[in-house]
Amino acid sequence: MNSSNNGISRRTFLGNTAALSVAGMLGGMPLMASGKEQVKLSFMYPVGVSGDINRIVSGMIGAFNAAHPDILVEAIYAGSYDNTEQKVMTSLGVGDPPGTWLPINSALQTFLSMDALEDVTALAKADDVYQDFLPGFLGTCISDDKLYGLPFQCSTPVLYFNKAALAKAGIKSAPNTWDELFATAKALTLRQGQDVTQWGLTIGGGWHDWMFESYVRQNGLVPWTKDKVMFDAAESVDALEFWLRMAQAGVMPTASTWQGSANDFMAGRTAMLYHSTGSMTNLRKSSPFEVGVAPMPKNKTFGASMGGGPILIAKNQPDAHKRACWTFARWMTNTANQSMWCKETGYLAARKSSWESAEMKRFVAEVPEARIALDQAAFAGAFLQVPGYHKVREYLKSAIDRTLIGEIRPDAALREATASSNREIQRMLRRRG
Amino acid sequence: MRHMLCKYWQHFVLLPVALLWLSPVLWIGVTSLKTKSEVFDSAAGWLPDIAQWSNYPAALSVAPFGRYLINSVLVTGSIIAAQLVTITLAAYAFARLRFPGKNLLFGLFLVQIMFPIYAIFLTNFVTIRELGLMNSLWALIVPFVASGYGTFMLHQAFRQVPSELADAARLDGCGHLSTLWHVYLPLVKPTLVAFAIISVVTHWNDYMWPLLVTNSEEVRTLPIGLGLLAKADSGADWTRLMAATIVVVSPLLLFFVIFQRRFVDSFMHAGIK
Amino acid sequence: MPRFDHEDLRDIPAAAMMLLPSLVFLALFTYWPILRSVWFSFHDVMLGSPEIFFLGLENYARLLADSLFWKSFGNTALYTLLTIPLSIICALLLAVGLDTRLRGMAFYRSAFFYPVMIPSVAAGMVWVFLYAPGYGPINGLMAALGLPRLEWLYDRSWAMPAIILMSIWKYAGYFMLILLAALQLVPRDLYEAARLDGVSATRQLLHITIPLISPTLYFVIIIGVLHSYQIFDYVYVMTQGGPADATNVLTFYIYQNAFQFQDIGYASAVANALLLFIIALIAILAATLGRRVHYLGN
Repeated sequence: MNSSNNGISRRTFLGNTAALSVAGMLGGMPLMASGKEQVKLSFMYPVGVSGDINRIVSGMIGAFNAAHPDILVEAIYAGSYDNTEQKVMTSLGVGDPPGTWLPINSALQTFLSMDALEDVTALAKADDVYQDFLPGFLGTCISDDKLYGLPFQCSTPVLYFNKAALAKAGIKSAPNTWDELFATAKALTLRQGQDVTQWGLTIGGGWHDWMFESYVRQNGLVPWTKDKVMFDAAESVDALEFWLRMAQAGVMPTASTWQGSANDFMAGRTAMLYHSTGSMTNLRKSSPFEVGVAPMPKNKTFGASMGGGPILIAKNQPDAHKRACWTFARWMTNTANQSMWCKETGYLAARKSSWESAEMKRFVAEVPEARIALDQAAFAGAFLQVPGYHKVREYLKSAIDRTLIGEIRPDAALREATASSNREIQRMLRRRG
Repeated sequence: MRHMLCKYWQHFVLLPVALLWLSPVLWIGVTSLKTKSEVFDSAAGWLPDIAQWSNYPAALSVAPFGRYLINSVLVTGSIIAAQLVTITLAAYAFARLRFPGKNLLFGLFLVQIMFPIYAIFLTNFVTIRELGLMNSLWALIVPFVASGYGTFMLHQAFRQVPSELADAARLDGCGHLSTLWHVYLPLVKPTLVAFAIISVVTHWNDYMWPLLVTNSEEVRTLPIGLGLLAKADSGADWTRLMAATIVVVSPLLLFFVIFQRRFVDSFMHAGIK
Repeated sequence: MPRFDHEDLRDIPAAAMMLLPSLVFLALFTYWPILRSVWFSFHDVMLGSPEIFFLGLENYARLLADSLFWKSFGNTALYTLLTIPLSIICALLLAVGLDTRLRGMAFYRSAFFYPVMIPSVAAGMVWVFLYAPGYGPINGLMAALGLPRLEWLYDRSWAMPAIILMSIWKYAGYFMLILLAALQLVPRDLYEAARLDGVSATRQLLHITIPLISPTLYFVIIIGVLHSYQIFDYVYVMTQGGPADATNVLTFYIYQNAFQFQDIGYASAVANALLLFIIALIAILAATLGRRVHYLGN
């Protein structure tokens, strides 16, 4: 690409204005400017767990607008995470981004590479953000020690199990290590002649790359940095070899889909399931048996990659709007709202103070499973935050799929995926200039 | 018995096939009345224990479906009304008029259906924005006013009309528009209906484009409400999704039942012997 | 022949007036975006970024070397070549079966047509359930018939056939309706004459019905080819192109590149390649089938 000169000067220029605007924002404190024109801003969000989220978000926005006469937020439902991201990007392309939006945390580097995000480090430091947010969750919004948003809906994969099926097989507790996982899956797999009537384990397809990163983390490696991936590292290859052993032993299917795997679990087709904590409410309410929840088993260590997303603030907008956006993001993630959000949706509250509130303590006493995801969050980190993560995900998923059906060896598949991914990341970085 | 078999043999063949075809919608209907835990419980049997009619209001509560319904009717109605005008005129020109470059131009009409829509979304997004139509019902209508598909379909039907009929009309001093109106249109009504149905269905169920160009509840359409229940990352909300599907499909089904009786039957063998 | 030349010119004003409404909208929302797409395909265009860089033929070179492009291409061809003949044969049989004054006709028509009306989001989800390996009714039916249980959408070799079966269910009714409309234009006395001559039903179908509705049949085949784009919806809802890209088709690949990978330039190159492929396919159909079509009007 022949743009590096232009690109650099443009970035420097933007960097300067960004610095100015942060200063402007700080100078503009207190945030509740009075006697000014009402600021209108939009908030694009996906629906992650169920249609009711639309109603809950509308309710929150209504409450926010009522409490802030100088700001008017319009909540825009934008489909799935993917749809939301696409809508935001299309708007960015014509220079008219929404003030705030809620993407999946993996998109952080992608939006940064588009120079779309406002740095809110200074604002957060002047507040209790660094003290009160759970570090694992806050970390998903940090790049190069700068903060670019506030975690709003957080999730990790967890291990769901069918308590009835375990009891039937005489298994007392959920597996705690990979070896136990394999053994338990073997004991839970039921066959009738050639046909499997119950799989021991299913790893939710479609997001199995997300689960896979958790496995690699359980081997003690985060398989990416902000400008490259290491899917070919020994820790990754070992994780995929473990999956291959389970698939070849016939205790888990070689492929599944996200929707299909949740159905399979509820229908008793699989006794254990790796799926998102976001699915907890749905699985518990819809399964005709008692559902157990456990942290993902460890190998060398426990580990999990974070799903869910932060509220991000657009860079390309007037300072008054940025201030309003911050007020909004801050309000959506305050202690009371995070507790409410967690209870209503099954996402994890991002604030320590939320978990310490009396309301949440009552909730955890009622639904101890909610606590498991939180405990696991202590070992969790961001998921695949590299530029062009979508394509990288496709490369990784394809490598996993082809390995499990026996088309290619794990090490060769992952080497190929790493090379292709890094080429794509370089392409995106070069484009950034 | 033989007599029965002769008289009803078609039913013996058609009925099982029809039931096979209907089974998915039966499942949709039954599921819309189940409790969440009955959906995947093989022990619970095929029918719900107690019909959960409350799934319907619960499904409709996730979004302002009343507003969405009005918008869907407005958008779909405007598109089909505009299309019927544009395609009738164009198809007549292609089927019955002589002018240079006709085949090339006809091919260009067909290109509209041949080009994958996701490759033109971005440019159309920019165009709609520059026309100042973002976040309005117009944004959902104007890109679909011309229809290469409808033109093609009607062109085929017009060519089926015996030219003697048209020539007779022309000899009686009818102009093109009058020939079109009095001779051609009455004869191709089944085709017009077939096109209208598919066009209405397509635009009624359109999801991606409305999602991209609308923001406010006031201008959104039914499939977006459906998406709220289907697109959940945690697995679909089966009972309510199926209830909402029934709600969204019902107006179309009604529309179809009415139209297929009124038109397809009454215009059987219309005018052509 | 001067007479034709004269008529050629005489109709021009009328033709222009009649084509204008369509052309205005086509120009704005079809031709302009296609021209842009051709232009994009020679550039590096990123979704969300105003900067555009010239690449020359690089996107096309990438395309030729891209194994996933060829795989999607193969999947698209497989889908088109299987779905269209199968659903049209299905539709023709249904239409002929329903082309009588049978009691319950409205019921049958609705029963076969309603799948067209189910939004693909919902239809896709329902079929995910129907295809479920353990508890799905399709496997139940297959077991009852003594056939092996299949993993359907989870199996690389069966995922595409599964989507094809579903497409036939969804679109046969629509083709049936168009064919039904055409059948009603076939003069009844032809059948009566044939019956009096003792011609069998099969021969009536092959020698009277099919030739007389051949323009519509031809039309339905072309429409079928174009409708094969609809597969995007099912792939999007049911498999997202998996497992191991077994159901990745060009329309889905274009969407992925444009909106997930933000690579508008490459997506445009793929779209243009697909357009050329479809034009070639239609041209072949027009040159072979189109020539044998019998128009009543001409």
